[in-house]
Amino acid sequence: MSDATAHDSHDHGHGGALPGTIGHVTSVGTLVKVFLTLVCLTLATIAVARMDFGRLNVVGALVIASIKGSIVALWFMHLRYDKRFNFFILFGSIIFLVWMVSYILFDTKMYQHDMETYRHGKTIDGKPKPE
Amino acid sequence: MAGGVVEKPAGYGAPGAVPNYLNHVAGIKSWLITLDHKRIGIMYLAAVTFALLLGGFFVLLLRTELLQSGGVLFKNNEYYNKFFTLHGAVMVFMFIIPGIPASLGNFILPMQLGAKDLALPRLNLMSLYLYWIGAVMFVLVLVFGGLDTGWTLYPPYSLDRDTSIPLLLALSAVFILGFSSILTGLNFIVTMHRLRPVGMTMYDMPLFLWALYATALIQVLATPVIGLTLGLSAVEHIGHIGIFLPQYGGDPVLYQHFFWFYSHPAVYIMILPAMGVQSELIATFSRKHVFGYKAIAWSSIAIAAIGFVVWGHHMFVAGQSPTAGIIFSFITFFVAIPSAIKVFNWVATLYKGSIELKTPMLYGLAFMYLFGVGGLTGLFLAAIGNNVHLHDTYFVIAHFHMVMVGSTLNAFFGGVHYWWPKITGRMYNEKLAVIACILVFIGFNLAFMPQFVAGTRGMPRRYANYVDEFTIFHQLSTIGAYILGAGVLLQVVYFIASLKNGKKAPKNPWGAATLEWQADSPPDFHNFTKPPIVMAAYDFENWEYDPNTGGYELRKEVVEAGHSLATVHN
Amino acid sequence: MHFDTLHNQFQSGKLGMWLFLGQEVLFFAALFTAYSVYRGNHTDMFHYGQYFLDWRMGGANTIVLLFSSMTAAWSVRCAQLEQRKGLLITIAITWACAATFMIIKYFEYSHKIHIGAIWGEHFHIHSFDELPLPLQEKLSHIPVPEGKTQIEAVNDYLGKGGLGLGTFFAVYFCMTGLHGIHVLVGMGLYIWLFVRAWRGRYNRKYYSSVDNIALYWHIVDLIWIFLFPLLYLIG
Ligand SMILES: [Cu+2]
Repeated sequence: MSDATAHDSHDHGHGGALPGTIGHVTSVGTLVKVFLTLVCLTLATIAVARMDFGRLNVVGALVIASIKGSIVALWFMHLRYDKRFNFFILFGSIIFLVWMVSYILFDTKMYQHDMETYRHGKTIDGKPKPE
Repeated sequence: MAGGVVEKPAGYGAPGAVPNYLNHVAGIKSWLITLDHKRIGIMYLAAVTFALLLGGFFVLLLRTELLQSGGVLFKNNEYYNKFFTLHGAVMVFMFIIPGIPASLGNFILPMQLGAKDLALPRLNLMSLYLYWIGAVMFVLVLVFGGLDTGWTLYPPYSLDRDTSIPLLLALSAVFILGFSSILTGLNFIVTMHRLRPVGMTMYDMPLFLWALYATALIQVLATPVIGLTLGLSAVEHIGHIGIFLPQYGGDPVLYQHFFWFYSHPAVYIMILPAMGVQSELIATFSRKHVFGYKAIAWSSIAIAAIGFVVWGHHMFVAGQSPTAGIIFSFITFFVAIPSAIKVFNWVATLYKGSIELKTPMLYGLAFMYLFGVGGLTGLFLAAIGNNVHLHDTYFVIAHFHMVMVGSTLNAFFGGVHYWWPKITGRMYNEKLAVIACILVFIGFNLAFMPQFVAGTRGMPRRYANYVDEFTIFHQLSTIGAYILGAGVLLQVVYFIASLKNGKKAPKNPWGAATLEWQADSPPDFHNFTKPPIVMAAYDFENWEYDPNTGGYELRKEVVEAGHSLATVHN
Repeated sequence: MHFDTLHNQFQSGKLGMWLFLGQEVLFFAALFTAYSVYRGNHTDMFHYGQYFLDWRMGGANTIVLLFSSMTAAWSVRCAQLEQRKGLLITIAITWACAATFMIIKYFEYSHKIHIGAIWGEHFHIHSFDELPLPLQEKLSHIPVPEGKTQIEAVNDYLGKGGLGLGTFFAVYFCMTGLHGIHVLVGMGLYIWLFVRAWRGRYNRKYYSSVDNIALYWHIVDLIWIFLFPLLYLIG
């Protein structure tokens, strides 16, 4: 954990920062380059999605989206130059999101069959549905 | 500036009075726009106490109804359903979740850090206002006819109905209260990261703060899920969109997944701060450095983390798949490990300590027993085979009341007694306090022990009626509830009386070593008139008893050297 | 002021904002879960639902948001360098992009509502000709039972009791709707920021609001980065 009062900013010289500026200054070149990369990735994801890879389409789309998201987080949101704890907050919340999505998806997939059986008039152990 | 408008200490109260945060400005307006964490903490304390009394009133009605099979109070069972719903909702969302963190935490957290305020005072005031709005909406639920869904608001029953207003009010109220809770947690984390004084590492923080930190993590990460779930519920109710309601293609089990993804971690929002208070009480009144500091600290974080991965144990019979049930059952047992680590360390702290049986300590000791029972019965329920048998019986009711009321309410009482002299500058009547504590303890056990038995014999929860063989359990339980209620009322009486007639409190009546005790009682508006001497939380040897004030004073050597006597601890 | 340095105050605000963003991620988590659950268990529902969404509109909106994210990051730079004019311009562009996003969204929504491609029990396509062309082709062969019109048969096939597209559109409208609300909030924040910047409130040591609102704006963009392929592209 960080020391509360330590002066933990680095006054990076680049980007023409004025003396005493708080935080990291991103250069215009970087901003534009990041934007163009993101546009290229968007076009790529559209192109990939228009081809049929079956189930791999989902994987491809998610991988590209994750790359784009990471780029936004690292450069636009300054996480590259920021305190590591801020990174952990984002990372941690995403972990919890993934855990929630995957576990609930897993469970619903497991009980889908029971629901179908029930819909067709039978209980899970094969007896007729009580009315 | 984040510090906001600093109220100028303009007209001090009575001439000659020592200026403090209560009298430096006066008038209702000065309270309503205050950014002072102490005043906000007090307003929270008043509000949650009101919620406790309201929820308690509801449950006394319920218990009275259950004195005899067939009922003695309500004209029809609909009233019973509405009152148990409101009892649950008010107690959970208005009392027990904000209870300790928002009231005691708000007041004590910055002081234990030696800071002037929370890091984001405006946000703190905003979260108080959100709380009030949510609370008013809950009261409106009652005005508009009440709600009979149970506090869990399960669809399809809750969402597929003709009357909208009470339902939508309740959904929005919980949504708003949730955001109040998120903002409080967020503020606490920022404060603990950024406002620790030089020389205080995370490992020098009092364990109460570690507990609040773990709580805050859950508040920030879990609460949004329930917010959105209730938002979706409202949309489903109005628009029949087919996400939760099966008749439109939705899946009601999905609601339960979402609901418990928050509401299980929320159980730890309720219990963790109580464990934090407990650590303070046990250490202070044993006058001994708390045993296994790091173990207690990290077990809070561990409980918070495990809390996120066990929610399915509420859904064993809800249509969740058996595979998921088995996994959830298995993981649930792991919660017992960090909990047991805490209890073990508290007991070890007592060992060879010089124990002083002041009222807060009595609550502390009661906590260990009640939490022991509550926690161990939780293990019975975690076992999936057992759970199917005991599901939705009074056994479950007794279990979670043991944890939530037995432990959290108990620790809340302990904490209020412990910090009351600091908050108000007055001592309460110790004799009455001991009597109240005994009443609460007896009442509590009498109310819930019979419910364990009734539950194992098949008494289902939420029923307005029962077969005759359960009569004795219900009657004992009702008598217990009355005694508990009497204990709580007695507390209210002597606390209010102490404001007028109480003895003036010394700076440090208990000889506790955390920083807030270096401030005056009640504290100055800026908390500390001179910067506190930063020292580790449990170095009790720095304080000595002063018979003139009736409290403890810092030893001269400590004041002169400006640091703790113990150069090394742990 | 109760912080010892401006720097500490800045970092506190920022940490608070990051925690809020973490909260935002989990705020959307339930919707992502609902999406996965219905998509994972009812692949056809999503396959057919996708025909109603126009990837060109979604793609255009993606580019618009990415651009606004760049200008938002640029506004932070301007504040750090005390370029008042640049700050005002970048804020204005960011706002304009957000407005563009909402206008495109408006056209998408109104078209769907117009043809009846909406949520839950209200899903009911009004006429066969209004279906998207590829879908018309696909559905032109479905058997029409005795005594029913073609559009009735189509609604039986797509709607309740059939593929359940009502739930698809519930997921679609909830996800994009909640995201849209965030965009609107962001627009409000940027108006407030513009006024404060106009009054010259920010300098290289005090620009917390610019930074934090930009962070918020980026997370709105980040969520859209995932919504776009999930809803518009993978069928
Ligand atoms: Cu649980």
